[in-house]
Amino acid sequence: MARRTKIHVGLEIGTSKTCIVVGEVKPDSAVKILGIGVTKSAGVRKGGISDFPQARACLKDALAKAEDASDVEIGSVYLSVTGSHMQGVNNRGTFRLPDNQPNILPEHLEEACNIARDVHYPQDHVCLHTIIRKYLVDGLEQSASPVGLFAKTVEADFHVVHGIGNRIQNSIKLVRECPLEVDDIVFAPIATAQMALDREQRLRGALLIDIGGGTTDYVLYLEGAIAASGCIPVGGDHVTNDIHLVTGLPFSKAEKLKILEGNASSDPSLSVGFAKLTDESGFADVEVKRAILNEVIRQRLEETLKLVHERLPKGAVEKIGAGVFLTGGTSLMNGFSELAFDVFGRDIYRPEASENSDSDHPSYRDPRYATAIGLIRYAQILETENIKPPGCLGKLFRLFWPFGR
Amino acid sequence: MISYQRDSRETIPASAVKIIGLGGAGANMLERIALDSIEGAELLALNTDIRTLASCLAKDKIQLGVNLTKGLGTGGDPELGQQAMLEAENAVRAALVGQRIVFVCAGLGGGTGSGAAPIIARIAREEGAFVVVFATMPFFFEGRRRREQAETSLNQLAVLSNALVTFDNNRMGELVLAKQGIHEAFGAADRMISESIKAVIRLVIRPGLINVGLDDLMSALRTTRSRCLFGSGIADGKDRALKALRNALSSPLLDQGSLLKEAQTVLVHLSGGESLTLYEIELLMRSLQKHVPETAHVLFGAAIDPAMGDNLSITLISALPEDSLTAGERDSISHVSEPAAKPEAKAPSLLDIENPFLEIDRKAEAPVAIETRESGQPLVEASPAADESGDHQDALSITESRSEPPPEIGVLFQESERGEPSESEPKTPKKEERPFAESELTEATAGIEPQGNISDDSSISRDQPKYRMPGKQLWGKSEPPSKGKPEDNDPFVDDITPPSPPVEKAPAPQLKLDPKFPSPQSELPFDIAPKGRFEGENPNVFDGEDLDLPPFLRKKK
Repeated sequence: MARRTKIHVGLEIGTSKTCIVVGEVKPDSAVKILGIGVTKSAGVRKGGISDFPQARACLKDALAKAEDASDVEIGSVYLSVTGSHMQGVNNRGTFRLPDNQPNILPEHLEEACNIARDVHYPQDHVCLHTIIRKYLVDGLEQSASPVGLFAKTVEADFHVVHGIGNRIQNSIKLVRECPLEVDDIVFAPIATAQMALDREQRLRGALLIDIGGGTTDYVLYLEGAIAASGCIPVGGDHVTNDIHLVTGLPFSKAEKLKILEGNASSDPSLSVGFAKLTDESGFADVEVKRAILNEVIRQRLEETLKLVHERLPKGAVEKIGAGVFLTGGTSLMNGFSELAFDVFGRDIYRPEASENSDSDHPSYRDPRYATAIGLIRYAQILETENIKPPGCLGKLFRLFWPFGR
Repeated sequence: MISYQRDSRETIPASAVKIIGLGGAGANMLERIALDSIEGAELLALNTDIRTLASCLAKDKIQLGVNLTKGLGTGGDPELGQQAMLEAENAVRAALVGQRIVFVCAGLGGGTGSGAAPIIARIAREEGAFVVVFATMPFFFEGRRRREQAETSLNQLAVLSNALVTFDNNRMGELVLAKQGIHEAFGAADRMISESIKAVIRLVIRPGLINVGLDDLMSALRTTRSRCLFGSGIADGKDRALKALRNALSSPLLDQGSLLKEAQTVLVHLSGGESLTLYEIELLMRSLQKHVPETAHVLFGAAIDPAMGDNLSITLISALPEDSLTAGERDSISHVSEPAAKPEAKAPSLLDIENPFLEIDRKAEAPVAIETRESGQPLVEASPAADESGDHQDALSITESRSEPPPEIGVLFQESERGEPSESEPKTPKKEERPFAESELTEATAGIEPQGNISDDSSISRDQPKYRMPGKQLWGKSEPPSKGKPEDNDPFVDDITPPSPPVEKAPAPQLKLDPKFPSPQSELPFDIAPKGRFEGENPNVFDGEDLDLPPFLRKKK
C-alpha cells in the first residue's frame, strides 16, 4: 500500500527534561529524525506534574526549539506518560467454543480477547494499553492467529497497562493547553522499547530498564511478547539527593560530582582517595571520599535494580536471552553495567554517551532521547497496524476519550 | 550411640507450661494457639462471659464471677473484672500450682482483660511461675476511656509480670495489606502472638546444642518496668539465614530492628533442622551484629530440632526500659499538643534524657497545677453544681494542705463524695480536664509512694471513675510530694499501684493526641530524617522502606 511521507512528533515530559522529537516516516517506513527540542523540566516530580505553570512553560520552550530545529509546525504529538501509579498486569481470557462450533471463528477470538482485556483494576485507574501476548488453543501455545483451527477452547493472553486517570489527564491537559493535539498516549518504557529493542532481541527475551531523572521504567519482553512492565519512582534525582544528604553538598555540586566522579561498580580499586571538583579559579572546591561517594551511588542504584528484579515474574530473568538494555540519563553512570550485571547476571547493553550531546545538535542515539524517539517508532507501528486510520469520527471520539484504543 | 539424660533442672518439662487466655480477646488468641497445636503447653481459658467461654477450644476453663456477673460479661468495667477474678482466685490458683511458665494472653481495655490480668499475673508469680504477658492495646477509635483502662492495667502488669509484650491494635495495619479482610488482620495479630509463645516455649523446653534456659531469658528481660522486644522469623531455602533474620526484624515489635539499637542484653535463639550449618549461624550473627550495639550482651543459643526440616527459625528477645521507649515519642507528641499543654509536655522531654528520675517531679509539678486550674475555669460556667465543690476544695486544699495534711484529706474525700450526684451528667466538659488531673495523680502517687503496697486490701470497692476524677485531682494538687504516707487513709490510691518512676507516666495526659501512643514503635524516621529535595512529599514507601531516603543511610541501621 503506497503511503505518503508522514511526520510524527514524540513528546516526553520527563522529570529532568522535556523532550520533543520530530521524525519523518518515509513511504518505505524508514524513519528520519528532523529535529529535537529539549529543555530542562521544572515542575515535574517522579514522572508526575507538580507545578502546572512551570511545566507548561518548559513544554512551550521545548516546542519552540523543536519547531525551530525541524522547521515543522507541530500540531499533534504522541505523548509518553509514566509514574509509580502505572501498572502492567498479565491477564488471560478463556473462551469455550459452543458445542456445534468446532472451528474458531473471529468472534470467538474477539470474545476471548474481551475477557482477557477486562482486568480488574481500581476505580480511579484507566486502561492505557491492552497488548496481545499470545493466543492459546486448547491450552497449547499458538502465537499467530488461531482463526479457523479446530479447537475446544481458545485463550487470549493480554498485557494490560493501567494507571490513575487523573494523573494521566494532567499530562494531557498540559499538552492541550499548549495548544497541541494528543494523537495517542503511550506508557514510556513501551515507547522506549520500540527504539531500543529489535524484533530478534524481543524474541530471545530482553529486559529494558529506562532510568530517568525521577522514575525507573522497565519492560520485559519474552518470546517476542511483552511479559511485564512497570515503573519505580526512583531515578537519578534520588542519587543526587542521596549524595546531598550524606555529604551535605549543595544539589548543583552533588549533581556535578555524580556525573563526573561517581562510579556505581563495587570495584574497590575505584574507591580510593578523594573525588575533587575544581571551580573556575582552579582551586579545589569540594572533596569527598570516593569510597563514600561510590557507595552511596551504588547502594541506591543497586536497590533500584533489585526492586525491578523483584517485580519481574518468577524465573523470568533466567529466560532473558538477549540481555538487559539500559537507557535513560542515569544509565550513563560509570560502572553501571558492572552493577547491573551483578544484579541480573545477564548481558548488559548500554548505549554510549555521544560526544556532542551538549551541543545544539544532540545525537539521535543518545539514551536520553530514547523514549521520545521510540514514540515515533510507536507511531509508525501504529500506522502500519491500523490499516484503516481513524476517520473523522474516530478522531473526534479520541479527542474526548484519549485512553485506550 | 550412648544417649545421656540431661539434667532435668536445665529444661522445663512441657507439663509445667500454661497458657491462659483471658477475656474475649484472650480467647481468640488461645484459639489460634490451639489451632497451631503447641505441643506440651496446657491451655486455660478464663472469662466472665459464659457464652464465649463455652465455645472456646481450651482444655481447661474457669468461669470468673459466677455469682457476680452470673455468666454475663463485665460490660467493659475493669472493676467488675477484678472482682470477678478475685471471686475465682482459689480455682485459678489451684490451676496454676506447680507451673513453671505461665503465659497470659489478654486484650486490654475491656473489663475482664484489664481488670483480671494483673491479678492473674500476681497469683502466678506467687505460685512461683515465670509470667509472660501478651497484651493487645485497644484501637484508638475505641475511645479514651478504654485506652486509659488499658494503660492502667498495663502499668500494673509491667510491674507484676516477668515479661510484658504489648501489641497495639492500631499497628495491625502493618501486618496485613490494606485491602485484606478484618478477620485476616485480627488473625495476623493472633498469629504473631501465637508464634511468639511458641518460640518462647521452644526456647525453654527444648534442650539445645548451645543451651539457653530460663535464666538467660530472665537476664534478657531483667530490666524492671520494661517492655519486651520480640521478633521471631522462620525461613527456608538457599538464603534462609538472612531471610529468617529479616523476618524476625520485620516484627512490628522491633520497629525494623531499630529498637534493638538500645538494647543491653539480647537473647538470640536459633533452631533448625539437621542441615543447620555453622556457616549459616555465623552469617546470621554477623548481620545481626549490625542491629545491636557492640556493648550489648548477646546470649546465644542454638538447637537442632529434626521436626524443623529445612527451616531455620530465629527468635530475638530483649527488653528496653520503658522510659527509653517513651522518650523519643514524647518529643514527637509535643509538636502536636495544643499550646496549653506545651510547657509541661516539653519540660520532661528535655529533662528525662539526662536524668529521668529526679528532676521531672519538681519541674513538671508546678506548670501542671496551673494548667489544671486554667482548664478547669470554663467548667464553672458549664456545670456550676459540679464544679463549685471542686473549686472550693481546690482553694481549701491549697491553703490547708501545708499545715495539716491528714485530716484535710478526710475532709476532701467527704466533700467530693457529696458532690457526686451532680457530677454524673455534665460529662463532656470534664473531659478536657481529665488528662491533666490524671497526670497529677500519677505524679503525686509516684512521688509519695516509695514502695509498692501490693495486695493488702485489693478488694476495696472503687468508685466510678467519673466520680473519682475530682477527688483525684485535688488530692494530687494538695499533696506536696514531701509528705508522709497517705495511702493508709486514702482509698483512691490503687492498691497495686506500682512504685513507678514518674518519667514514664508523664506522657499519659497527651494520650488523646497520638493514636499510636503507648506502643514504643512510632513512625519516627519520617519526621526526623531530612529528605532533601523530596522534603514534604508523600512518603515514597515500597516494601516498608522509604525510597526517598538514601539506602546508604537506611541500610546502615
